[in-house]
Amino acid sequence: MKRIKRRAAAALVLAFLILAGLGYFLVRLAEDGASWAMYRANSSVYTNGILDCGILTDRDGLILARMGGGEHRYADDETVRISSLHAVGDFLGYIGSGALTVYAGQLAGYSFWEGTTAGGQTVALSLDADLQTAAWTALAGRSGAVLVLDYTTGEILCMVSSPAYDPNGEADTSLDGVYLNRCTGATFTPGSVFKLVTLAAALDTIPDLETRRFTCHQTLEMDGGTIRCTGWHGEQTIEQALANSCNCAFGELARELGPEVLEGYAQALGVAGSLTLDGVATAAGQFLPAEAGTADLAWSGIGQYEDLVTPYAMARLCAAIANGGQVQEPTLLLGQDNGLTQLLSAEAAETLGDYMNYDVVYSYGRDRFPGLDLCAKTGTAEVGGGATHAWFVGYLQSGAPLAFAVVLEKGGGGLIQAGAVANTVLQKASEIYSQ
Amino acid sequence: MEHTAQICIQISGYAQAVLALWILLRCALSMLQEKYEPEVWAYLELPGGSSRAIHHWECILGRSHASDIVLAGQAGVDRSHAALRRDDHGQWTVWDLGSREGVFVNGQKIQRQAPLNDRDELRLGQASLHFMALSDQQRNTLQRNRAEPGRRVAPGGTMFLLTLFQLLILTQHLLSAQATYRQAVGLSFGVLIALEWVCYFFMRSLSVKGFEPETVAFFLTSVGFSVAASSVPENMVKQCFLLIGALGLFLALGWWLRDMGRVRALRWPMGAAALGFLGLNLLLSEAIWGAKNWLSIAGHSLQPSEFVKIAYVYAGAAPLDRLFRKRNLLMFIVFSAVCVGALALMGDFGTALVFFCCFLVISFMRSGSFATVFLALSGAGLAGMLVLTVKPYVAQRFANWGHVWEDPTGAGFQQVRTMTATASGGLFGHGAGNGWLEDVVAADTDLVFGVVCEELGLITGMVCILAVLLLAFFAVRNAAAGRSSFHVIAACAAVSIMMAQLALNVFGSLDILPFTGVTFPFVSRGGSSLISCWALLAYIKAGDTRKNASFALSNVSRKLRGRAVRKEAGKS
Repeated sequence: MKRIKRRAAAALVLAFLILAGLGYFLVRLAEDGASWAMYRANSSVYTNGILDCGILTDRDGLILARMGGGEHRYADDETVRISSLHAVGDFLGYIGSGALTVYAGQLAGYSFWEGTTAGGQTVALSLDADLQTAAWTALAGRSGAVLVLDYTTGEILCMVSSPAYDPNGEADTSLDGVYLNRCTGATFTPGSVFKLVTLAAALDTIPDLETRRFTCHQTLEMDGGTIRCTGWHGEQTIEQALANSCNCAFGELARELGPEVLEGYAQALGVAGSLTLDGVATAAGQFLPAEAGTADLAWSGIGQYEDLVTPYAMARLCAAIANGGQVQEPTLLLGQDNGLTQLLSAEAAETLGDYMNYDVVYSYGRDRFPGLDLCAKTGTAEVGGGATHAWFVGYLQSGAPLAFAVVLEKGGGGLIQAGAVANTVLQKASEIYSQ
Repeated sequence: MEHTAQICIQISGYAQAVLALWILLRCALSMLQEKYEPEVWAYLELPGGSSRAIHHWECILGRSHASDIVLAGQAGVDRSHAALRRDDHGQWTVWDLGSREGVFVNGQKIQRQAPLNDRDELRLGQASLHFMALSDQQRNTLQRNRAEPGRRVAPGGTMFLLTLFQLLILTQHLLSAQATYRQAVGLSFGVLIALEWVCYFFMRSLSVKGFEPETVAFFLTSVGFSVAASSVPENMVKQCFLLIGALGLFLALGWWLRDMGRVRALRWPMGAAALGFLGLNLLLSEAIWGAKNWLSIAGHSLQPSEFVKIAYVYAGAAPLDRLFRKRNLLMFIVFSAVCVGALALMGDFGTALVFFCCFLVISFMRSGSFATVFLALSGAGLAGMLVLTVKPYVAQRFANWGHVWEDPTGAGFQQVRTMTATASGGLFGHGAGNGWLEDVVAADTDLVFGVVCEELGLITGMVCILAVLLLAFFAVRNAAAGRSSFHVIAACAAVSIMMAQLALNVFGSLDILPFTGVTFPFVSRGGSSLISCWALLAYIKAGDTRKNASFALSNVSRKLRGRAVRKEAGKS
């Protein structure tokens, strides 16, 4: 019997395998439970594939979407509905990056402890409906994106993408990329706003940068091409070169830095490659290293060539500059803390900030932005056929702690067009903050 | 009203999870913690003058350390020299296990076996021993001093908690069920509760005090009733009759196992029955959901392969004297290969795998040889490869394994829904009868873990798994004090069948193992499965040697007391 007794333990091999399997299952459940529970077949929370519980509001409690009992309603105000379409998303999930899809787990009140909860939960977004309305109105039907975030908390206050449609009606699918959130889901040629990246690389890499003089005779001959500039800038400091957005100076810097250094900075600063917003990947920006010494390399440092960035990445970079080099990672949820990431050294951030302020004061004109203590950079990105994307990115260095990016798709000149939209939105935002 | 019902369900969800844990804990404390005081059946006086108690009805004498009575340093003693065996009537027999120098009783060399009586001289090689049978009085004293189960954790208290658990689940069902089914659901839970208490008091009336394995089984059965009430409330009356049948078979088989003589007589017929069932199955059954393992009789479908499990364990377990004969093991391997092969022919690979696991456990316990197990595993591996090439749908299941989220509306349909429902239920569930997974095909059998987790919560789901494991640990622990190797092997085989089913069912539906579609013991809906699980429980019961713990063991002390009373009466 002693033998049999010993051998009986063999039956326990299976028992221990089951315990191990159970442990593995629990780990997976803890990791992936939210996404399992939010599969659209879960009829505790979905009815015919439509989330049927939860309330989504803006930062002030204004209802952006309400679901329950088979009824689905968006915001009452039409402009709020349209301007928030891409941030909020739609009930059917055509806009995959919308809050209704991304935060479905929170809306259904999912937790490991309780599972999904009947009736769902209220989820407050960090968006401000008034600011959304202001941005949408300022875009005035033009294609583009407006993104404003608080660089101290990372909360996104404004995220508007155009074209959009009233979700209470049918989508006009004849519009180009109507389901696309242009803030996070689309990339654009950056043009001169990319010079912030080139400059950040130069500040770290070239020791005598601030004492150097750059000469601009409107064109610069390079291997296999000519760099054209917007004007005859003569001799300038780096500060002046940025304010002039001088292509000759930045072409020269790009050639000196070389493709690898530029690529490294584009990636480190988040403008190349993919980022995440509340755990969801954004469209990936692009920086292709051009052959050393060629005009392509110079163009790549000026934000042309094959460069592509998302407005989200540009706003995030500006937020980092505003916040002493550390970015408080953005979020669309009120009160959510996604942590800090060091993008730049504090010194580089300070210098960049000073130069961006100099741009506004000496080049763009403070009159355009009354009452705003602005640091900014324009971009007028050539996209062929004479069309240009109008960019305006930057932040407020006092007053409301806001960083922003505005792009108008084939919208003309950066300062005149995008700058005006940014001004309208920032005026409104400052007003909201002062209350 | 809606809101009040919601809160009721939520609170009863917490209470029900706590009760499930409490029931499990009480059963575990009493099944695994209670001190084991081995029974003493006789003594052997060793050459040095010391004596050794005999704790089992079967024991081996030899030089090996694995012997029950170790005769070290004695000339002419083999590693496993002889076996002693007690029968149900207290008569001892000594068996020669093919030793070199033979076994002598009172100086006479025995042929294979000989009866052994009190104070007989037993000689193995040069070692001379004296066999001392216990007098009735000695036995009685020893038996009186043994601890009874239930001293520390009273089974009646656990039963009370179980009843509360069942009433909570019933309340949840009554809150969510359609009006037409309320009566049937209420009635069926009433019958369930009545049956378990009848069973409990019946055992008490026999002075049987160990009721934990039954409590565990009744717990699992209750969860099974809840699943059935969710998915097929119209079938609840049938479910009650099935449970009555299952309990009947449990008691009958348990009673049958009391007598080793009876047990021996039925081993060959049981083997034949197993093969017969499978043959019948192959010839007559129809294919439902890919596996040809259903038999329809007068409008009722049943799965013969479930009954084969009972017969297979019975035929596979062996008393000690059979253990040492190679021919027996070989026969068993051939028998097993036929069984597993027949199941594979039917396309029921899940059950084939369950049998194979059971085969591995039995063959290892019988032979003690890792080589046998290794050989069997490699053979099965080759057979498995063959299956994958000739049965493409099995290969398909392997291809989907681990990738179900890539095809949630096709090949991964059931698993994805199980995982979704499991996560959605949280720790406490959405309330019995309040789920949606029950509407998916085969939810109440193959995906039952998801249904339990969604409606009763992850805690109750886990308690169900742990309850089956508890039976396994209990059976293995009992092996130390088992009376006969038949009982020990049968109990371990029974729990290994249950565990293999559990693993395939739960992990298959959660995409941790390939999806095979076997049943969760006691919980999955299905009459054949319920009946076979309760029958397997009889084997576990028969391995429980605590004092007055099991009706499946003859209660020697009571018998002795009866005999003593009769003697007294005779004298006067």
